[in-house]
Amino acid sequence: MTASQLLTVGNLTIDLLTARTAVRPVDGVSYSLNRGETLAIVGESGSGKTVMNFAPLGLLPIGVEADMSGSVSFDGQELIGASSNDIRALRGKSIGFIFQDPMSALNPARSIGRQIGEMAELHLKMSRSAADRHALDLIKLVGISDPSARMRQYPHELSGGLRQRVMIAIAIAAEPKLLIADEPTTALDVTVQAQILHLLKDLKKRLNMAMVLITHDMGVVAGSGDRMVVMYAGRAAEVGPVERVLTQPRHPYTMGLINAIPRRTDLVGAAFRGLPGVPPVLGRPLEGCGFAPRCKFVLPDCSTNRPHLAGTTDPSILAACPVVNV
Amino acid sequence: MTFVYACRATLSKVPPLALLAIGAFVFLGIFSSWLAPYNPNTQNLLLAGQGPGADHWFGTDHLGRDTFSRLIVASRTSLVGVFLVLILANTVGICIGTIAGYRRGWTDEVLMRFVDVGLAIPSLIIALAVIGIFGTSYWNMIISLALAWWPGSARISRGVALNIMNKPHIEALRVLGASPLRIYFFHLLPGTIGAVLVYATADAGAIALAIATLSFLGLGIQPPTPEWGQMLVDALPYLEGDPRQVILPGLALTFAVIGFNILGESFALNRVPAPMSRRMLVSRRRVTASWKKVMV
Amino acid sequence: MLQQPILTVENLKTSFKSIERGKQVKAVDDVSITLYPGEIVGLVGESGCGKSTLGRSIVGLEKPDSGRIILDGVDLGSLSGRRLRKARRAIQYVFQDPYASLNERQTVAETIREALLIGGLSSRAGREKRVNELLDQVGLAALFKERYTRELSGGQRQRVAIARSLAVEPRVLICDEPVSALDLSIRAQVMNLFLSLQKDLGVACLFIAHDLALVRQAASRVYVMYLGKLVEYGPSETVYDTPSHPYTQLLLASAPDADPLRERARVVPLIVGEIPSPTSPPSGCRFRTRCPLAVEQCASALPPYLELSPGHASACHFAGDLYMRKKSAIQPAPHILPAVGAARLATQL
Repeated sequence: MTASQLLTVGNLTIDLLTARTAVRPVDGVSYSLNRGETLAIVGESGSGKTVMNFAPLGLLPIGVEADMSGSVSFDGQELIGASSNDIRALRGKSIGFIFQDPMSALNPARSIGRQIGEMAELHLKMSRSAADRHALDLIKLVGISDPSARMRQYPHELSGGLRQRVMIAIAIAAEPKLLIADEPTTALDVTVQAQILHLLKDLKKRLNMAMVLITHDMGVVAGSGDRMVVMYAGRAAEVGPVERVLTQPRHPYTMGLINAIPRRTDLVGAAFRGLPGVPPVLGRPLEGCGFAPRCKFVLPDCSTNRPHLAGTTDPSILAACPVVNV
Repeated sequence: MTFVYACRATLSKVPPLALLAIGAFVFLGIFSSWLAPYNPNTQNLLLAGQGPGADHWFGTDHLGRDTFSRLIVASRTSLVGVFLVLILANTVGICIGTIAGYRRGWTDEVLMRFVDVGLAIPSLIIALAVIGIFGTSYWNMIISLALAWWPGSARISRGVALNIMNKPHIEALRVLGASPLRIYFFHLLPGTIGAVLVYATADAGAIALAIATLSFLGLGIQPPTPEWGQMLVDALPYLEGDPRQVILPGLALTFAVIGFNILGESFALNRVPAPMSRRMLVSRRRVTASWKKVMV
Repeated sequence: MLQQPILTVENLKTSFKSIERGKQVKAVDDVSITLYPGEIVGLVGESGCGKSTLGRSIVGLEKPDSGRIILDGVDLGSLSGRRLRKARRAIQYVFQDPYASLNERQTVAETIREALLIGGLSSRAGREKRVNELLDQVGLAALFKERYTRELSGGQRQRVAIARSLAVEPRVLICDEPVSALDLSIRAQVMNLFLSLQKDLGVACLFIAHDLALVRQAASRVYVMYLGKLVEYGPSETVYDTPSHPYTQLLLASAPDADPLRERARVVPLIVGEIPSPTSPPSGCRFRTRCPLAVEQCASALPPYLELSPGHASACHFAGDLYMRKKSAIQPAPHILPAVGAARLATQL
């Protein structure tokens, strides 16, 4: 691991065990993230993209156990197998989180000033009054108007965009090195989305933070991502720099996703392009390639031999498809 | 098919202790005639006041009646009484609650004012009032308790009905042009009944207690039909000499009520899913062990 | 080509009581739209603009305060009771959340059968035949008939919901964000289904959505709403090519582009402020508090609709200038954030 690599994921496999079933939402995934970089993780429902980022950090619902193997190395510290106390020390302090739904992620019974200040008290060991001042600074930093009045407001009094800014303020309160954002703008309007993404980019630069951006929106990836990982059926289908993968994808699934985006040149009333079939339901690991049932380049071998991430004609892109990348 | 599904889904959430207590109660109640070794009403003054023995497992009461048999038959009396009150109270309550929730507006306001009045008066006062006016009899007791209980059921039904009416699939039916009667009878009522009955069973404990209280006061089940409250009041004069006769009915009543209360609590609390048991973890891990791990 | 519109909504107003006491939320404030047989029309806007309320008011899920809804020449306000219910069946609604809009306790066949029963199809054999036909029409294999709706995926459920709506033979379908809850790779399948319904059955669709690219390709005309009012409408090509209202320009410019090179070169517009409270909207033009082109005139009176080309109009004093591209509402976002606290933050790194 080089000095600039902040997060290295090596052959990560996660099995989730619940009272009802056992599933494998992450099956042998590897990628890395450098300091100050934004890694976009793209996938649909059932791709395992959220579990992959939350489970190694101990964020699982109650009643779910995770068996993890492989390696997740953050800033030189191995997370797989680390004690829950060690991992808890990282959460909030070195790694900040932004969740999809700001309403459920904020405490409805506390003022937003208090919620932000709490982070500073806890992780930066500030006194109550110092934390409040820090919270005020953060509220200004995330671009919330009328900050001193807002400090005392409660989440239900704010709009979706404002709540998301509050969540960002909470996430960066302890100045983490890494920000994990799980679909941060999916629940927001498109004009607000533009503002929030712009804010995240600026904050990243100021605080020299790296970001993992989990999303399903290619436009968001194009605007905010430096590198990207495309997930399908719990496996990495393609890894590479955003401008290369989005313009010249090397995996049939990525090609299909990009092809599905409506273009300005499409006529009104023209048929929409998509992928046939449905994404697989997570369960036991699939034989062969997970995308085979829907792939137009499928060969008989695809259903029995699982493809691995391998080099392509573009040296910066790795793709898990031996058919397209001979 | 859906009934079985609903039953299984509900039963899986009930704590085992509650199920045990209620199960015993219901079992004894149904099969009491076969289980009771003696006729509960046969008096034998010669054997009065005996302690537990080979013949009479729990002994006899002051009139020589077998206590064990009386306890068992008393559970049936309670069961039938509770059942009748629940049916009556919930039929009225669900009707009023669903109509209020469905129609809203003035109908809702007026009906809910009645409910408010009903809820404001303590249940026993209502029962006493009715019995005082119409006299003591089995049916007067049942009716008076149903009168006391229907407002609570109405309020819950209304809440559930409002919830269901706002669901998109009901809105879809309205858009399709379904007649109000169809929506009410085929969709609203079945959904409400299911939810309300769950809460109703939790009330069963309180109703059993109310029946026992009224019988204790002499206003409920009349002798010689055995009933726990009545057995308590009969045994009071003998408290010093023979406390067993007071303790046993008291214990039976307590277990039944506690069982239903635990049941009620398990529905009322938003249960946080429990962490998995070791056994479950082991069995899941056996499944995943067979999954290959690939070196990428 | 002069057809009679299948649906005309005239000056519709719908309001709610607000959480704040004594105040009203004018969710739909004097909106008029028209739908011709067999066309797909888009209705776009952001949260709080009233587009969902408009759709719900048209199908009768919300009670409008005033205005007329004319369906195939008949004013729905003149009907009541059973006759109203029967007439209303010609307008159906597809909900956004396929996980809530179906009755989970029913099978697919039961769901559609009930709709057919409601629609008046009395013979059992006739119903069975129609169930098969409808499932075929929405692209669901016959094996799904006896499955419970709770066992189906999002895309499959949405197809069942569409089949249910088609069972009563509507002329108009109001679709409220029908694909936003579905996976990306599935959206195309359902969108193509809507296109085929339009072609094969001649059903007119009002497509309420916030995905602008989707609406552009599906709809021949589009309406843009902001805070309860229509700000611009017209043929979708024209509106997307030459947006002539500041809000439309900002809306279109905010949508991210999936081409990374274009996206990085793009001027990200800044839309200032938050949406005003719907209980007390700004006087005059609703958008003036966030509009970079606002002048005094905008506050004194509602700007009238200016017709820029046949069927294309915009409610802005500068509509003409915007249309001729002499003015633009798009200004880039500042790259510098307030420098508060920067010193301390920098030292702590």
